[in-house]
Parts: sequence; C-alpha cells; structure tokens
Amino acid sequence: MSLSTSLSTAVQALNAASGALQITNNNISNANTPGYTREVVVLQQAGSNSENGVSLGNGVDFEGYQSVRDELLQTRIEQETQAQSGANAQLSSLQAIEPTFTTSTTDIGTEMSALFSSISSLSTDPTSSTLQETVLASGQKLATSFNTASSTLTSQQTGLNTQVTQDVSEINQLSKQIAALNPQIANLKASGQSDGGALQDQQDALVLKLSALTNVSITQTDNGETLTTGDGTPLVLGSQSYALQASTGTDGMQHVLDANGDDITSSLTSGDLGGTVQTRDTTIPGLLKQLDTLANQFATAINSAQATGYDQNGDAGQDFFTVPTTVSGSAASIKVAITDPALIASSSDGTSGSNGNLVNLSAVQTTKLASGQTPGDAYASLVYQVGSLTSSANAESTASASTLVQLNDQLSSVSGVSTDEEAANLVQYQQAYEAAARVVTTIQALFSITMTMGTTAAE
Amino acid sequence: MIPDVQYAMQQSQQNLSAALQQVSTGLRVNQLSDDPAASANMVASLATSANVDQYTSNVSSVLSQMQTADSAIGSIVTSLNSAVTLGTEGATGTASTANRAAIATQVEGLLTDIVGDANSSFQGAFLFGGTASSTQPFVAASTTYTSSNGSAASPLSTSTALTAGSVTTISDATTGETMTFKAAAGDTIATLQSAVASAVSAGTLSAGTAATINAAGQLSISTNSSAAGIVVSSNSAALGSMTAASGTEVANAYAYVGNRSVNSVQVGDSLSVATNLPGSNLLTSGTNVIAALNGLITALQGGTTAEIGTAASAITTALNAVSNQRISLDSTLSQLESQESYLSQETLTLSTEQTSLVGVNLATAATNLSAAETTNSAVLAAAAKVMPNTLFDYLK
Repeated sequence: MSLSTSLSTAVQALNAASGALQITNNNISNANTPGYTREVVVLQQAGSNSENGVSLGNGVDFEGYQSVRDELLQTRIEQETQAQSGANAQLSSLQAIEPTFTTSTTDIGTEMSALFSSISSLSTDPTSSTLQETVLASGQKLATSFNTASSTLTSQQTGLNTQVTQDVSEINQLSKQIAALNPQIANLKASGQSDGGALQDQQDALVLKLSALTNVSITQTDNGETLTTGDGTPLVLGSQSYALQASTGTDGMQHVLDANGDDITSSLTSGDLGGTVQTRDTTIPGLLKQLDTLANQFATAINSAQATGYDQNGDAGQDFFTVPTTVSGSAASIKVAITDPALIASSSDGTSGSNGNLVNLSAVQTTKLASGQTPGDAYASLVYQVGSLTSSANAESTASASTLVQLNDQLSSVSGVSTDEEAANLVQYQQAYEAAARVVTTIQALFSITMTMGTTAAE
Repeated sequence: MIPDVQYAMQQSQQNLSAALQQVSTGLRVNQLSDDPAASANMVASLATSANVDQYTSNVSSVLSQMQTADSAIGSIVTSLNSAVTLGTEGATGTASTANRAAIATQVEGLLTDIVGDANSSFQGAFLFGGTASSTQPFVAASTTYTSSNGSAASPLSTSTALTAGSVTTISDATTGETMTFKAAAGDTIATLQSAVASAVSAGTLSAGTAATINAAGQLSISTNSSAAGIVVSSNSAALGSMTAASGTEVANAYAYVGNRSVNSVQVGDSLSVATNLPGSNLLTSGTNVIAALNGLITALQGGTTAEIGTAASAITTALNAVSNQRISLDSTLSQLESQESYLSQETLTLSTEQTSLVGVNLATAATNLSAAETTNSAVLAAAAKVMPNTLFDYLK
C-alpha cells in the first residue's frame, strides 16, 4: 500500500470530519429555527482496495446529510392544528357572545323579571301613573336587551363573514408557495438527494400554516405533495395550485368556491376557515333563531294578554309590543308599541281602578309559550346553550393544545436539535479531524523519511 | 424542552388567574362556560328572587292600603256603636220630643261621619268604590236629574240618538243597586227609556223611576218622591252632563255609585289576596246601614218609643254586619303579615341556593389560590433550573 493512498484516505477523513462539523454547526445554528429538521451526517465506508492479494479499507465517503423526518408525526400535527384552529375560531366568537347572555343588570332574563315585577307592582295601585310608566320603561328595556343580543350575534356573524374572505386569500397564497416548492424538491430528489432538506422544511412549515386555516389532506406523489380540501377538490397538484374564491351567495354570506366554481363551503370542517364557517352558518343562526322565537312568542303572549283587558280609557287593550309577523328578525326589531302609559290594559271590567287583567299579563311568566317552554325556561336554555357551546369549544381547544405539545415533543425528540447531542458530536468530529490531521502529519513524516532515505548514510 | 416549559407556565398562570378571579369575585361561575348548567339554573333562580322581592313589596303596599281601610271601618264601627247608644237613649219612655230631636241631629252627624269614612281614599284612590276607585263611591241622592243638553227651542226627543259606546248609570239609594246602560250604535233616548223600565220591573231601580223629556226639552230622570233618591251620570255627548235638579236632594240619602268588583294582588306564587272591600258590601247590600240610620232618624223625629226601639235594634244588626266584613279584612291582614315573614325566609333560601349554584366557598377559594401560587412558583423555579443546563456548560 502506497503512502499516497494513505494520504488520500486521510484527506477523505479530514473532509468527512469537516463536513460533519459543518452539519453539526448548521444544526446548532438552527436549534431554535421553527420547522427546522435535524440533519445527521451520512458517512459510508469507501470500497476496499485489493493490493497484492490483500484487501484493505479505503477510507470514508462523505455522503452529505439526511434530515431526520417522521412523516406520520408531521401529519398528525397538521391534523391536530386543523382541529385546534377550528376550535379557536369558534371559541373566540362564542366568548364575544357569552357576556350578552351572562346575568347582568341588562341581560334579557333580568329585564324580563323586571317587566313582570313592574306589572305585579302596578296591580297594587293600577291607576298610579308612576307605576304605569315603570311597566312601559321595563318593556322598553326588555325590547332593547333583545335588540342588543340580536345585534351582538349578527355583528359577530358579519365579522366572521369578513374573516372568510381573508382566510381564502391566505389559503391561495400558501397553496401557491407550496406548489412552487414541489418541482424544486422533485429536482433535488432526481439529482440523487434522498431528501428535500431545507426546501422540504420550508414546505412542511407552509403546510402547517395552511392546516391552521382549513382542513386539507396530503398525499405524497412523485411530483411532490398533493393537497386536497375537505371534499377532495385539489388545492395543490404538482407545480400547479388551484385558487379558491369567496363569492357572495344568495343568503348574503361569503361562500367558498373551488377552482371549478363548485360551492365547497359545507365541506370546510376545521381550521380557522372551518371554525369560522361553522360558527357563522350553524352556531350563530341556531342561537339567533331561538332568540327570535323567544322574542316573537313572548311579544305575542303579552299582546294577547293586553287584548283581554281594558286600558285606563276603558278601551280594549292594544298591542304592547311590535314584532314582525315572521319569527325571523323579531329580536332585532321588537319594540314597545305604545307610548302612553295609560294604554296598559290593567283593567278587566273597563274601570280604571280594576287590576283584573294584570293577572293575565303576569301569567305570561308562568305560561308555556308555543315553543312548549315558559319565557324564563326558554331563555335559560339559550343561556345553557351559549355556555355549553363555549365550554366545549374551550375544552376542545385546550385538549388540542395539550395534544399538540405532546406531538411536538415527540417530533422534536426525533427531528429537533438537541444541543447536548450536538455538543457531543462536536467533540467527536473535532477529535476525528485531529486524528485525521495526525495521520497526515505522520504520513508527511514518513514521506520525509522516505525522501531522505540513505542520504544520512551517504554523508 | 422550551415548548414544554412554556406550556407548563401558561397552564399554571391560567390556573393562578382563575383562582385569583374566584377569590376576588367570590364567584365560582364567572362566565357561562364555567358551568353552563348552573348558569341556566341561575336564570330561573334569579327570576324567582325577583318575584319574591316584588311579592314582599306588594305585601307592604297592600298592607298599608288595607290598614287604612281597616281604620276607616273601625271608625264606622265606633260611630255605629254611638248610634246604638243614642237609639237606646231615645227609646226610653222618659225622653222628651225635644230630646229625641236633638238625638236625631246627633245621629244625622254620625251618618255624615260614616259616609265620610266610607268615602276614604288611599293615595288618591277611593278605598270602598270597588274598582271604580277614581270616583267618590257614596254620593248624596236626589229625586230628579236633568240633562244639560236640550232646550224648549230645540228639545231632545225620544228619537234623539245617544252617542254609541256612551255609558249612563242610575244608582238607586233605596235598592242600593246601579243600572248601567251602554249605548250601542243606533240607540236612542227611547232605548234608554225602555232600559229604565226593565230595570224597574227587575227591581234594580225603585218603582216610579223613569226617564222622560221634560217641558224644558231636557232628558229628566226622576224617581218616586217617597224613595230615597238616585244619582245619575252619563258621558253621552248627545245628553251632556246629568245634574241633580235643584231642590230635589233627599236628606240623609246616599247612593252607591261604585261597583262590586274586587282587585286581587299576588303576594306569593299561589297566593293572591283581595285588597278592597266594595262599599256596597260594607254599607248597602244585605243589611243597609244607611237605611237603618235613616230609619232611626225618622223614628226619633216623630215615631213612637216602640218604633225607636225597633230602629235602634236595626242599627245593632247593621253594626254586626259591618263587624263581620271587618273580620274578613282583618284575616287578610294577618295573612299578609305571615306571608311577609315567609317571603323573607324564602329570600334567604334563594340566596343560599344562588351561592351554591355560582358562588365559591371562600375558604376553598383561598386554599385553591395559595395552591395555584405554590404550583406557579414551582413551575418557574423548575424552568429556571432546567433551561440553562447544556453539555456546553461542562465542556470548558
């Protein structure tokens, strides 16, 4: 075996050690970079040389690095992110709605009680104009609290509607970036790289961002990652991205259309867009409908009770509340119909001093409405629903957050950079480099000896 | 490591702020989502509380109204007792005519007092007018009332149409009853005349009561001169106001112009109390107190000793009748008083219920807070220990 062969083996070792040091260096540099995947050195034993029938090792081949990925974990993190973003979108809307239905001085339940108290109080002195004014004022405050609750719900809905447009444009932006990376990664792989490396990291980070926005499913193909939305419409196919569009539907809301113009709104189930659409199209309309039903049936019940009695002028009672004939929009537009306190139909016999009809007005509190519940129970079930929707969105978000922490832990134990490990590697590769350098020095010494062989003896 | 530490810190800080909020607000449920079921139950509990508060305030306003009524009745009872004494005094054989006339004057004074008591009001509402509490219930009666409309030049006639929807009432002091006539569209004075005639035959009005067009062209409603008189009112624009013809007022006669309706006020979920006693029940219907006093006055003014005795014992009967009415009023009063204490107990029960629904036990909350504080400092201490440790520290 020649010295020069040994020297080239040592140089290979030096290269391998310095390459490994560079990889370690890169790992340490990116220890805190989000989405960075740890790289490990790929070394391979070089093919052996056979000399004079003796087979000898021929050093090391430095093959670059391999990113340590776990595609399964990555996918689970993406899915969990979709679930968490969906829950968060619902939670933030519901938390904004919650205070409207929380017991306060102006919530519907309190104002409803106040109206019945004022009616009961009027029964002790039906001709008192002060007490009549109180009934009227309580009615107005109740109407206002219905109006406020309804406008809180609709303004949330409007806000969510704007969010849909924003989400769609962000999704399109991300799809475009992801699609652009696909051919680059494919080229890298075609050139023999086993991994997309930094580009792959970049793409994974983009897919994770996209997962925070909507539900996507990901399949790996030869042309890179294919992304499809909930109903299977492609978002990214090879180098091509397909833009979603937001368009105003017949209901006045923004609907999400795929590249073919098909409405995919109902298949958006998670991510910020899914949560937003669900809250906008299911949760809030459900609550609004109950609120409208309560406002409408309550107003109707009070009006019928008014109609059975006589006002201070001895005339048959007229409507106390004005509500639209259709249930929809009742809570938003309910208002007190009369302005003259003397028009409260407290009398049952036409004399102003009679309080006989107030008992019919009071009875609305304990009589079941057309919905089968008393007004108080109907409101309580609304309160329960808002509370339970918020609490389950909260629970879902918390659970997802803790699952995400665990998954990220798992992923970082596989793909994350451990500075301890890198410190050990640093020491190891430094020593390897020193050892290889030592070999070079030794060979150099041997060369000198060889060169001066016999010279000393000749002198 | 770092995300774990961050998550642990977030969690412990959330727990800490939740514990702090519980201690500072005294509430376990600060948002609906803290306990949706308890929040929903609170709606019902608060509504019940509001009702109980209102019942309590109803009890106190009804109590003061009824106490005023009770003291008015008390004063009527005192007056009647005096009348019994005076009657007995007048019934003695030794009493002279002059004595009896003087006693009669005193009884007349008592009658005025009694009518005054029966016309008592509370906060502007007449206590004994039934639900017609805005008008004085006992009004001096006359034998003839005439309309302000109609004159010799343009007389009213039986075909004069009455204003549709207008109400004409004739309250009879003798029978203690009131005829109410509500004009329908197309009704004329003739319709009113026949209504009066039917009321006479039904006994609502005394015999001889009739509505006629008088020589001056006005509508005249009059009753038999031997009867105790009537009180007429009308809001028909066609007739104008009905006023008593001068000189036809009947001495010591009062007609009840209120109604017999009773108002009830709710003072509990299933307890309502009648809050007023119609004056007719008190003075004219059944035993007619006013008539009894008038009987005594008449007997004292010219009757025999026996007649005075009979009239005096009629006052005793009237006194018993009024006392009986008072008993039912008093039993309502005591019912209200016991309801008041029941309601204050109920308020306490409800507030306990509300505390257990959404409130927090302060001792538990304080313990939770200090536990949360300890955990939080432990998490921070652990983070501080764990984070700086790397192998690099040892490679020097």
